[in-house]
Amino acid sequence: MIISRLINKRICNATALQRAVSSTSSSQNAITSESPKHRRTSLVSPSYRFMYPEFLPDPKPEWRNLIREKLERKDMLARRSKIEMPSEFYVGSVLAVTSSDPHAAGKTSRFVGICIDRQGCGLRAKFILRNVIDHQGVEVLYDMYDPTLQKLEVLRLEKRLDDKLYYLRDCLPEFSTFDLNMEADILPEGSEVPINDTKAVLKPRPWLERWERQDLKGISNLEEFLTPKMVRQAKQRETPWEQYDLMKEYRRTIPAEEQSQIYSEVYSELHQFELARKKMKRKRNIPSKLA
Amino acid sequence: MLRTSVATAFRSFHTTTPCQEIRKLARLRVVDNSEIGKRAMAEGKPPRCIHVYNKKGVGLIGDKVLVAIRGQMKKGILVGLKQDQKTKVPKFDSNNIVLIDDNGSPLGTRIHTPIPTILRTILKEKTIAKGADYTKVLAISSRFL
Amino acid sequence: MSFLIKNGTQVRNIIFDFSRLRISPQIQQTRGRTNLNRPKLKNPSWFVKKERAGFQDYITPENQTFIQEVLHEQFGAPAIIKGVQSFQSHSLIKSDELEKHAWDPAFRRTGVLGRKIGQYPLWLKDGKRIDTTLLQVVDNHVIKYIPPEEFSPSIKPRINKLNKYGCLVVGSESVDPTSLTKDYCGLFRDSGVMPKKNLGRFIISPEAQLLPGTPLNVTHFKVGNYVDVRGKTVDYGFQGVCKRHGFKGMPASHGVTRTHRRPGNIGGGGEKARVWPGTKLPGHMGNRWRMNKGLKIWRMNTQYNVMWVSGHAIAGPTNGLVYIFDTILRLRRPGLSPPFPTSFEEENKESLPVDLYDDEVHRFEDSTIFFEPEKV
Repeated sequence: MIISRLINKRICNATALQRAVSSTSSSQNAITSESPKHRRTSLVSPSYRFMYPEFLPDPKPEWRNLIREKLERKDMLARRSKIEMPSEFYVGSVLAVTSSDPHAAGKTSRFVGICIDRQGCGLRAKFILRNVIDHQGVEVLYDMYDPTLQKLEVLRLEKRLDDKLYYLRDCLPEFSTFDLNMEADILPEGSEVPINDTKAVLKPRPWLERWERQDLKGISNLEEFLTPKMVRQAKQRETPWEQYDLMKEYRRTIPAEEQSQIYSEVYSELHQFELARKKMKRKRNIPSKLA
Repeated sequence: MLRTSVATAFRSFHTTTPCQEIRKLARLRVVDNSEIGKRAMAEGKPPRCIHVYNKKGVGLIGDKVLVAIRGQMKKGILVGLKQDQKTKVPKFDSNNIVLIDDNGSPLGTRIHTPIPTILRTILKEKTIAKGADYTKVLAISSRFL
Repeated sequence: MSFLIKNGTQVRNIIFDFSRLRISPQIQQTRGRTNLNRPKLKNPSWFVKKERAGFQDYITPENQTFIQEVLHEQFGAPAIIKGVQSFQSHSLIKSDELEKHAWDPAFRRTGVLGRKIGQYPLWLKDGKRIDTTLLQVVDNHVIKYIPPEEFSPSIKPRINKLNKYGCLVVGSESVDPTSLTKDYCGLFRDSGVMPKKNLGRFIISPEAQLLPGTPLNVTHFKVGNYVDVRGKTVDYGFQGVCKRHGFKGMPASHGVTRTHRRPGNIGGGGEKARVWPGTKLPGHMGNRWRMNKGLKIWRMNTQYNVMWVSGHAIAGPTNGLVYIFDTILRLRRPGLSPPFPTSFEEENKESLPVDLYDDEVHRFEDSTIFFEPEKV
């Protein structure tokens, strides 16, 4: 009786989800709102966002659920503990994937190629490798957390000028040819990931896509194939204002506070994996130096 | 200049990209060393698919097709496709076939491009006991992916 | 009148009788489908107005904290239980223990209310990738049991021998009662649990009845068994035929004017010069209850009350409410006894593992799959 007469405010109309969000964000605020002198420096490097992009969930708010994301991250870490996976690779890096196949039981197959795209988040993360083998362009799509993958190696850690390298399909084959027995180039520790500024040479039309409309930096000879009409139409479809569109950026990404929260949750384990990998690398390098 | 001369030298110079889908009249690429296949590719007159032996009429990897090649009809097996594949199955830059005869034995003696391992399972399933044996195609391949 | 039409012979007899009486009856002809799938509004017996109108009472903060204190004394302090915001509820009702029955395949158990929280793939031990949807059982408690004698819903569900079955009202997600009406809160008075946000009813055998206040968890089901999941599809509102039925529309050019996304012809001429019942036309799309039957439970997490079921087409948006219950498909019913009438987690709290997997599923913490050649 007292309750129904006295209370006016809706105290608990939020769902559990909203509550969980607010409680986590408030704790985050508690850390950041301290004065800059006493602010705890986060152990998590800001580059984690680019090193482990699949740990960030899909930014679409109606698809998010904190418990699902937590369970997914747990499974991802469990899988990462069982496979030799590089700590980072980017579009443009050369990878080697060793996998087991039910169609060739008892063997493993190794495919080397340049990563032309990374897509998906969570356990759905995928990447595409491209290579030219026996004068035949071949691409393979791999699930990153597929338990049949035996090993993932980075042979050359670098970035390219573009975010997606689908245009290599229309370029001369030498730009996507990589030796299958290539040896890994190991970067010195602590060095930045180099950007490879090779510009690929495009074959004449027909093309798979309208590359002139995509503002690509990694093609050297695009202009020589363009007609005035193509140039004009590409110009019409340009959207140079989009880089200033803050709302678009906001919708496309997870907010920075949530990102740091997600990575601080997985940091300790990811860091352990990194240390273990370094140890292994050192072990492997020592005998080769002696010999 | 060079391009125009190429265009005039061969009558059937195509200005379209290879089809993402194998259906009737799709151009294919012969990847074995059979005489007829080599000639057709060298002339710049690649074979055309004139029938797909399945219920859908759209060829998938491992399907048998009937092709028109140098004025003849030959059968072939699709060993590599340009369309998107499942994970771990390679996708090629061209639509490749290996020519076979009615018993399933290949006309050539070597395949000079890689072929996907999934064909081992698919062709084994399609082989009919005491009928066509398609697994002979696997025996002449040089590299599996 | 409508029940007369359903039964053709009766109608004929009555017409015959009436004609002898020389009274011409007016029977309205109904054409076509009478049971069109339009969203129906049927309020169950326990439906009462739920949310209170918000008005200003101007009470002091001290009074507010006092109210909260009273509330928490009665129902327990707020706590996160299995990943869901709830209250440390303790069953207030002390009643006699129910008689225990052994499970029989003919018995209908209760279901649970859950939320669809997303989907992600799992891999089987043979390397195959399967798509699974995650369903979370959110803070479920039994509210009320209605025995078969008293259970007479206004609209009868299509179940044979309905008079043999009772009804169990299950609630999910505790909320602060201060936002709710007195009538709605009164529904929970005898159950001893905090008022719930969602209520659902499940038709059960009397042998499978549960005491009010019993918590229902994901362990109510067993990994490897099959469930049906009922959810409300996404509400798209009034939509045209292209979106609603997947019509192709008409060309963008070549002389087409203003009919790019229209249905085109909707009826013939001559004898059939009318729109036939059931013709696909624009209309309301979504916001209907739909059921996915026979979904396998691949995995369970007892810490967060989550289950992984096969498929990715479960009705409703992410975070939408779903009903989860034993499948009605005969060939997929369990052969062995599921927890009957439900699993009481408090009894075997220690021995319960966090993750339960089906035998076919590859666990992520297991080592990488390597395909051994078959031994001949």
